[in-house]
Amino acid sequence: MSAPAPTATPAAAPALAISGLQKSFAGVRAIRDLSFSVPKGRATALIGPNGAGKTTVFNLVSGVYGVDSGSIHVNGVDVTHLPSRRRIRTGVARSFQNIRLMSHLSVLENLLVGQHVRASSLAALLTPYRLIPNHRWKREARAALAESGLEQYAEETVGALPYGVRKRIDLVRATLAGASVLMLDEPAAGLNPSETNALRDHLKALIARGLTLLVVEHDMHFVDSICENVVVLNFGEKIAEGPLSVVWRDPKVREAYIGTDEEA
Amino acid sequence: MSGYLTGVLVVLAFNVMAAYAVYLPLAAGQLNLGIAGFMAIGAYAAAYLTNELGWSMWAAVPMGSAAAGLVGILIGIPVLRTHGIYLALATFALGQVIAAVFLNLDVVGAAAGYPVTDYAAPGVVFACAIGVVLLMALISRTRFALYLTAVKSDATVADLMGISVRGIQVAAFALGAALAGFGGAMYAHHYSFIEAQHFNVLLSVFTVLYVLFGGVQTVWGPLVGAAFFTLVPELLRASDQWRYALFALFIIIFMALRPQGLVTASLFRLFRRRSKGASA
Amino acid sequence: MLSQQIINGLMLGAIYMLVAVAFTLAIGVLNFLNFSLPGLFMLGGMLAFGFLKLGWPFFLAAGGALFVAALVSLLVERLAYRRMREGDAEVPLVSSLGFLVLLENLVLIRYGSDQQAFPALFADMNVRVGGLVIGIAQMVSLAISLGLVAWLSWFLRATNAGRRIRTVAENRETALLMGINIERLVPQLFVGSALLAALAGLLFAVNYQQVSPFMGEGIGFKAVAAMIIGGMGSIWGAVIGGLLIGLAEVLSISLIGADVVNITVYGLLLVILIVRPQGLIGRPPAREKL
Ligand SMILES: Nc1ncnc2c1ncn2[C@@H]1O[C@H](COP(=O)(O)OP(=O)(O)O)[C@@H](O)[C@H]1O
Ligand SMILES: [Mg+2]
Repeated sequence: MSAPAPTATPAAAPALAISGLQKSFAGVRAIRDLSFSVPKGRATALIGPNGAGKTTVFNLVSGVYGVDSGSIHVNGVDVTHLPSRRRIRTGVARSFQNIRLMSHLSVLENLLVGQHVRASSLAALLTPYRLIPNHRWKREARAALAESGLEQYAEETVGALPYGVRKRIDLVRATLAGASVLMLDEPAAGLNPSETNALRDHLKALIARGLTLLVVEHDMHFVDSICENVVVLNFGEKIAEGPLSVVWRDPKVREAYIGTDEEA
Repeated sequence: MSGYLTGVLVVLAFNVMAAYAVYLPLAAGQLNLGIAGFMAIGAYAAAYLTNELGWSMWAAVPMGSAAAGLVGILIGIPVLRTHGIYLALATFALGQVIAAVFLNLDVVGAAAGYPVTDYAAPGVVFACAIGVVLLMALISRTRFALYLTAVKSDATVADLMGISVRGIQVAAFALGAALAGFGGAMYAHHYSFIEAQHFNVLLSVFTVLYVLFGGVQTVWGPLVGAAFFTLVPELLRASDQWRYALFALFIIIFMALRPQGLVTASLFRLFRRRSKGASA
Repeated sequence: MLSQQIINGLMLGAIYMLVAVAFTLAIGVLNFLNFSLPGLFMLGGMLAFGFLKLGWPFFLAAGGALFVAALVSLLVERLAYRRMREGDAEVPLVSSLGFLVLLENLVLIRYGSDQQAFPALFADMNVRVGGLVIGIAQMVSLAISLGLVAWLSWFLRATNAGRRIRTVAENRETALLMGINIERLVPQLFVGSALLAALAGLLFAVNYQQVSPFMGEGIGFKAVAAMIIGGMGSIWGAVIGGLLIGLAEVLSISLIGADVVNITVYGLLLVILIVRPQGLIGRPPAREKL
């Protein structure tokens, strides 16, 4: 796959830098003065109880909503006021908590949509690629599928596939944009143990390739096996940050999770 | 070919062109109930160029199509701010306004109609319809066609993937308009006479009906829909009223039983798998 | 002269208003743009005409026409609306257009395509108020329309049944959780909106003493415009929109000419849809949540 290999020098700008972020929905403050950064070439987890605001952070970074205040930088580029459509070109792509694949399209076609930023010229738009056997785009998409062991589903219509398969295809689509930063929203949710293992291997391969990951996940064993650092949100606020083993002993974090679904 | 058969096939050719004019925007999720208005623009613009400026049909017809496409872009940009039912109604209103404008426009004969001096023979009409089908089949093999479906099924995600949703929507709308204008311009030159009353709501509505009947999941649906709508009543030798009544009844029952249309994507995949299985 | 035109515009507007209210019930509660309503409008007028020709007394003919319209509307519910949950959103709209075409052509086959004279109920009785001429029939139908709409608005606001309907309109899931029987409510709404449309057709026939298989199109489509202009899903929006369209139509006929009516009315609709799609007093649609 042709993701631009980012040079992960520690001194370089962080892959994702969020500072002073605020967002309210109809008076409800979903994100409150949130700042954190995601170092390049590593996996960082964003955790917190349900409703803490994790998905909202992804929505703000990808531009589904505008921010109320604060700033967002991707690879050193200020994207705070960039139209959502342009943000993926700055190198950040995402998956969706409630899988957002196009259910009438085939798996391969969904992946081709994911490739758009790398094939967006007028000529690419009008190439009758479906008439060309084994066209480069189809080859790439199949290769990415094969990497996750999903190649047998290439021609299937997405709507008919089981949940775990769709969840992983949603992730594969995010990887195809050639982005250097991937935001994954609960990628292991709803997967069975063997699928979870396959996912873990896949994510490790992505990190080894130099990609930066920001992962929202409830399964703490999974988080522990992938991420070096975690950021903990509660009620839209950052309540802790650091290695999982340290953060997990923090009384504030314990308190935030008490009475909610403590899955660790 | 008998005169009768030629006449029927010419009608089929026009219906096919109209069908794809509805299909293109519909593939992007835009129900255009004003397609007759764009046909009128193409028809009147081309007829005007032929009649008043002495252009040859070969130049006038593409210009008529371009005029409709241009109006499609200019109107599409504001109108496509609306979605779903609102968009359907906006196009509906647009069709009504356009027809009413031509009905009042004295330079093109207003309510009395407008004779056209140049003539397009049936062969030319057939060639144009076949050209449209081939062009559409080619387009359906591109990313553009893929993005039409993507924008229709999830515009938010398409946008996050970097696709210019507005660009695709306006392009689909304007290309549909240009295609309608092309059909209208050919219509004017084949029948050598146009009147604004012809381009009414029912023309738009019937076109939409048979396109949805054929199905919009694949590029062949509109062709099948147009052929069915044109030829089956002909075979039944039904009178006009019975033809419309039966067709409407058929549409209602058919939509209740098979809302995705006659020709669907999964049907195609089934065929492909069968033929692969047979050849292996 | 102008005040006479305004009176005429309001009379015509009252008809639009009834049909617009029928449309707005279907849109507001069921989210269904029911294009069969113009057909039901036409059935109200044409069937009453047909039954009168059979020698039925007026109230029986009127009741018969309304009854048939309600039955047809139940068919629309079965064949067009129920399919809405699966498949594309345009399917029910298209099916309902199919019903419009079907009804028009069936009536055409039975009664011919010509405009027919509807017998006068109140033989040429007019009231003159300071130079203004107001037909009794028109007064009666204006009173009926306004009374009906006021009652409907009260019904939706103040009765339990009305509150149930509004709950379904607000949020289907909540309504289900509250134990509202949507399966029963939906056919009732279809009958209600059909009766409104057919009654409007009947009043139109009585007022203007003419009927034709295509009488529903012009009126019904303009009623859709009226509904949008007022604001989809709002009863009083439909009232304002209906009266506004009636006025705009009559005034543009008398000031500019009959041919420009469609330009004015549909031009207005187009502008409203672009500039303020929620209409004059509607609420903007909610944004999706990711
Ligand atoms: N579009 C929206 N409109 C209103 N409230 C929202 C919207 N998106 C998120 N919220 C609210 O913001 C809070 C955080 O939600 P979310 O980011 O989805 O939480 P998480 O992903 O951590 O479970 C919740 O209270 C949610 O209801
Ligand atoms: Mg979430």
